[in-house]
Amino acid sequence: MADERITTFPVKPKLKPNSKKLSSTPESKYWRSFKTQKISNQNNPITTFPITSIEFSPISPHYFAATFSASVTLYSSQTFDPISKISSFSDFAYSATFRSDGKLLAAGGESGIVQIFDIKTQEKKEIKSRSSIRKLKGHTRPVHVVRYPSFDKLHLFSGGDDALVKFWDVASETQVMEFHGHKDYVRSGCASPISSDMFATGSYDHTVNVWDSRVASRESVIKFDHGHPIEDVVFLPSGSLIATAGGNSVKIWDVISGGKLVCTMDSHVKTVTSICVGRGGSGNSNREEFESDKSRLLSVSLDGFMKVFDYSTLKVTHSMRFPLPLLSIAFSPDCSTRVIGTSNGVLYAGKRLKKSTVEDNKLDQWSFGSANEPQKRVLRPSNFRYFQRGQSEKPSEEDYVVKRSKKVKTAEHDKLLRKFRHKEALVSALNVKNPATVVAVMEELVARKKLLKCVENLDIKEFGVLLEFLHKYSTMPIYSGFLIALAKRVLQLRTEDVRSSDVLMGHARNLKRSIEEEIRIQQSLQEIHGIVSPLLRIAGRR
Amino acid sequence: MGGWNLSGDGDGISSPAPLPSLKYMVRNGSFRAMLTGGKSFVSSPPAFSSDGKRLLVCTGNTVSVFCTKTGIQITELKGHTTSVTSVIVVPSSTPASKVLCYCWTSSLDGTICYWDFSLPELVRKVDVHLPVFSMIIPNVLGIAVEGKKKQPNLFAFISVKDTTRPDVLNKALHGKILKCNLTKSSQAGGVLSETRHPEFITGSISGEYFGIRNKRKIHVWKINANGSKYDVKKIKLHHTKNLSVLAFHPTQRIIAAGDVTGRILIWRGFGNKSFSENGGPVNGKAVKIEEERAGVRGDDDAESCSTWHWHPAEVKVLFFSSDGAYLYSGGKEGVLVVWQLDTGNKKFLPRIGAPLLYFVDSPDPTLCSISCADNQIHLLKTSSMEILKSISGIKLPCSLPAINDGLRCGFFFDCAAGLVAIPTEAYSVQFYSLLEDREVSQVQICERNHQAPDDVTIVVTLLALSEDGLKLSTVDTKLSEEGIGGLVCLKFWDYGSRRGQFTLSTIIYEPHSDARISAIAFHPICDMVVSSSYSGDFKIWVRSVNMQQKDRESSKPGWRCHSVGSYKRKSMTAAAFSADGSVLAVAAETVITLWDPEQNVFVAVIGETTSCIETLSFVGKSEYLLAVSRGSKAQLSVWSMSKLSISWSYQLLAEAVTCSRDGSRFAVLVLLPESGRRMNRSEKTTIQVGDGVIVLFNVEDPVPVATWSVKKAKGGGISFLQADPSLIDENFSDEKSPSEMLVYLSGDHEYILFDPYSKEDSTISWNCRKSRAPLEETGNSGYAAIYAELPEIPSERHQIESAPYLPSEKPWETIFSGSSHVLPPLTKLCSVFLESLLEKLPTAQD
Repeated sequence: MADERITTFPVKPKLKPNSKKLSSTPESKYWRSFKTQKISNQNNPITTFPITSIEFSPISPHYFAATFSASVTLYSSQTFDPISKISSFSDFAYSATFRSDGKLLAAGGESGIVQIFDIKTQEKKEIKSRSSIRKLKGHTRPVHVVRYPSFDKLHLFSGGDDALVKFWDVASETQVMEFHGHKDYVRSGCASPISSDMFATGSYDHTVNVWDSRVASRESVIKFDHGHPIEDVVFLPSGSLIATAGGNSVKIWDVISGGKLVCTMDSHVKTVTSICVGRGGSGNSNREEFESDKSRLLSVSLDGFMKVFDYSTLKVTHSMRFPLPLLSIAFSPDCSTRVIGTSNGVLYAGKRLKKSTVEDNKLDQWSFGSANEPQKRVLRPSNFRYFQRGQSEKPSEEDYVVKRSKKVKTAEHDKLLRKFRHKEALVSALNVKNPATVVAVMEELVARKKLLKCVENLDIKEFGVLLEFLHKYSTMPIYSGFLIALAKRVLQLRTEDVRSSDVLMGHARNLKRSIEEEIRIQQSLQEIHGIVSPLLRIAGRR
Repeated sequence: MGGWNLSGDGDGISSPAPLPSLKYMVRNGSFRAMLTGGKSFVSSPPAFSSDGKRLLVCTGNTVSVFCTKTGIQITELKGHTTSVTSVIVVPSSTPASKVLCYCWTSSLDGTICYWDFSLPELVRKVDVHLPVFSMIIPNVLGIAVEGKKKQPNLFAFISVKDTTRPDVLNKALHGKILKCNLTKSSQAGGVLSETRHPEFITGSISGEYFGIRNKRKIHVWKINANGSKYDVKKIKLHHTKNLSVLAFHPTQRIIAAGDVTGRILIWRGFGNKSFSENGGPVNGKAVKIEEERAGVRGDDDAESCSTWHWHPAEVKVLFFSSDGAYLYSGGKEGVLVVWQLDTGNKKFLPRIGAPLLYFVDSPDPTLCSISCADNQIHLLKTSSMEILKSISGIKLPCSLPAINDGLRCGFFFDCAAGLVAIPTEAYSVQFYSLLEDREVSQVQICERNHQAPDDVTIVVTLLALSEDGLKLSTVDTKLSEEGIGGLVCLKFWDYGSRRGQFTLSTIIYEPHSDARISAIAFHPICDMVVSSSYSGDFKIWVRSVNMQQKDRESSKPGWRCHSVGSYKRKSMTAAAFSADGSVLAVAAETVITLWDPEQNVFVAVIGETTSCIETLSFVGKSEYLLAVSRGSKAQLSVWSMSKLSISWSYQLLAEAVTCSRDGSRFAVLVLLPESGRRMNRSEKTTIQVGDGVIVLFNVEDPVPVATWSVKKAKGGGISFLQADPSLIDENFSDEKSPSEMLVYLSGDHEYILFDPYSKEDSTISWNCRKSRAPLEETGNSGYAAIYAELPEIPSERHQIESAPYLPSEKPWETIFSGSSHVLPPLTKLCSVFLESLLEKLPTAQD
């Protein structure tokens, strides 16, 4: 009882309503757990080239290849450092892609030649082996899409601006088949994840063609119309669904039922440039995690948004904004890395911290410690640790733990308020620059009927800080009700001071400007309200 | 009849017979009070018993004895008929006499009583015929000396109010200081002093001096102990401000006094001239002293006068510690200051939470008590200045001046549990059990520290409990400073872990933008609250469970706005749900609007009253609605829901109304208007302003069923309580127990419970009182007090010894039982007894 009585209450800001959006679902928490970092990796920062494609190696350690300018750069997915750069292209390179075993890399280019590189030699950075090991010549126009089939290591297919899709035997550098059917640039393609012979290509003629290398007729097995020039085509992991990106929409098609449209996602406002399949993280036993076997469709667009689309429930589950138009996206097979390429050469690489790695580290430390065991010396009073020994001792089960009473941290303004030094409290709160605290202190002063007295007593410098604060926050909706009335009163109280000082005049002008702006906004909002409310009333009547 | 006018087709209320106290509730000429309580603990200073284990507190007409260890009431001294004003415990001169429990009490009924409070028992009664406001007994030990055959006369100095003198120009000196011979029960000597009002007498511990404050002066008397007749000498000390309190040093000639501005004055060596034995020093010496006297005003008889100033407001408490090294002071700001007398260094006990009124120390040097204005007595550990225990009574009404009519903080009755919720000055709500007459809990509504109440800016204005008492809703209003920063907060609370404990669930800032809330009411069945505001709308709040995340762990259920309604932009002044919750009645100034709360559909509007409706209430499960409007055209009207029209109405000023839960009766607490005084001139007693009448009505009949006259009705309240039959004494089981009781809480928060329906005069006694007398804690002594009790170590030796014995039948238990004339002679018994011991041994050794 005695304890209760002596407690003091610190000044607390008003509670804010926490919107339901922010109280994140486990899924959006998961997607937000990718710590994004920016890699502006190009050596020449003046000329920045769009990153047209990114792909992860299917085998560990999951390097990823980003294609931009006349080069393909391999990055480590752990540190995001460039490992090697393939620059044996005469012109722009496009669509670098890994073979299913991750040993070879193929890339198309503006020149129309598809080149094959050996990853291993590239890793070693042997100067000699920088050049390609195979060159597939056949396209007359730039090749924008090169893909290996899922399991087949000998063949690849490519699509070019000459509206042709070619199927190659890589070892012999010969063209096995040529597929006709597209009437415009072929800009995207994907191999079926369940069959080595099936693959789909998308073209600017709005159509997607699914090809089968076993069909001798060289005509598409299935063809469907997306309605917009197709930017990207992806087989979903089941192999029975295809997602296409074109225009502002992403559409999902059922291949087995002959190309029926399953659903459309229209949440982007500009052209969707790239899509890929992402999965929930594996290996984490975190209960809050959303189930790891669920896969999502990740899409990026020129509007700078990355959206996560749950195609089973047809809902956009997460959305993230980047400051640049986005061109390409890739998600690593081990679900730890997500890389997004932009139109001016910046890569946004996001990595998840994995708990398993922490455990690994722990194991390492432990083994390290045990190795050092014999060297552990007896602590002497000369050592600082001598005085701390035993402090981290854990109590055993039968021990009675005497708890140290928790030290109450008091903010400086609270201490000052308790001493009734009101002006100092206000100044100290203003210097901390947390608007919620400042308003809370001001409200406390109002409750003591001391706020205006404090304002009167502020000296010129402190008054400047107050005016700056008012300029910054008086139009913020949560504080405006309180601060606008205060700002008005403050300026009335200290007109003379404001007039006499140039700095204060500047602050006052700023305040005036922000308020004028706010008035403009309010007026336009009222106009909108005027337009909308009759509509709502009509809608309500029905 | 003037303003006291009862319209309607009934024959009106017969003029009630007012009686002097709340105690006497007139019911058709007879009264019966079942239970009273809610007494103020801080009307006068308490006193410790001579062993320091008990605290005697003046509580209204009685003196309550509390245990200082548990803080629970042990017993009560009943005998005075009006307020007890002082209690003096006879101290023990020897350690052996510490167990003696005698005390003197004085009361406004003009008597001084001598008690043995261990039993408790009235020993003697001395009648002085004048209301005693304060009393000291300088040489109180005199009577305790039992050894002497002839007891010396015991004298008391009393401060009385003499109203016999005619009140001319309102300047008559009513206060008198008298000397009274308690042994002979007679007045001794003449009037020592006369003041405008009776003053509080302060005596010194040594019994040499006593004094009173009188405006800007202190009167100090010295009691000359030599000779059987007391010779009293008087000096005066002057100050420039009105003095408020004084204290005597226990050993030296030092007097401390506090004034209204917060200064503490300390006169050292007072009365050196006047009180010295040999009539006064030589002239030359006097001149010398004259020069040295620092700070002493005029020709006051003191060596020096120093001033300490820490308190920002009036000093209310001054007390020297028993060794005289420290001075305790306190006042309105609720901080106990300990001054070191020699140096003037200070120590503080801050945040006590209410203005201090009295400081009393106990014979036990580690214990002292402070009485606070919020009706709490804190027991302090003197050394560490920490609060050991608090004895809290019902919170007193807010002493603030009425800032605004809208900020009238009312209380709320929890009918089922017999609790009343009272908003306090320290931004909290106290739950007080009316049946047990003690505090149940306190809920802090605003997280703010208590401030000196000269500038109250945050007030808990409204509170409502749900029918089951599990949900609480409060409204607190912060007043703005010149139009900046006003705030209204609506808060919803959930039932906590303990009885009367509530945890905050939802805060809604500015629920009706910046307008004040006029009423809040709970739906009787489901989780729904209506709040109505003066800005012209009402809102219905429901508790919501987040539906979106149903599959995931449900987020905390909060309260949300369900719907908003308004009627012609009129300010909504009152709201109430019907008993089944199907109808919501909201008063829009002078008309009553009816709504469907679930669908938020406007149903009907009824009637028009003469002035703004302030309270609405459905009468139980009947079809009637009660509307109360106050102001100049006060009205109480009963509306029929089936006819949607007024049934009957009276033109009277209702302070509070309450409706019985299931029946069709309701009771109204009516404030008597000024002209009531004229009306009752014919009778001997006069009605004071603020008195009232409780009128019980049957809803269909405008003729009242019963009336009771009560005192201090302004700011009071009434409520029906559901009677708990377990609380009624079993001895009265033959009598039909009442199903409902009426409780009246006066403006001073004293309350009385009674059965409004019963006709008999017999009073049911309540066993809840009896069960409350606790066993006194058996304190550890000696070794156990210091080192705690030893664990019981079974001695091995004893076990070995007892090994040869078999469990015997213990025949002596039966042998010796029975009365002495039945038992056989002792010689016979002895041999049997010894045999029974010896017999067993050989069998065990076999």
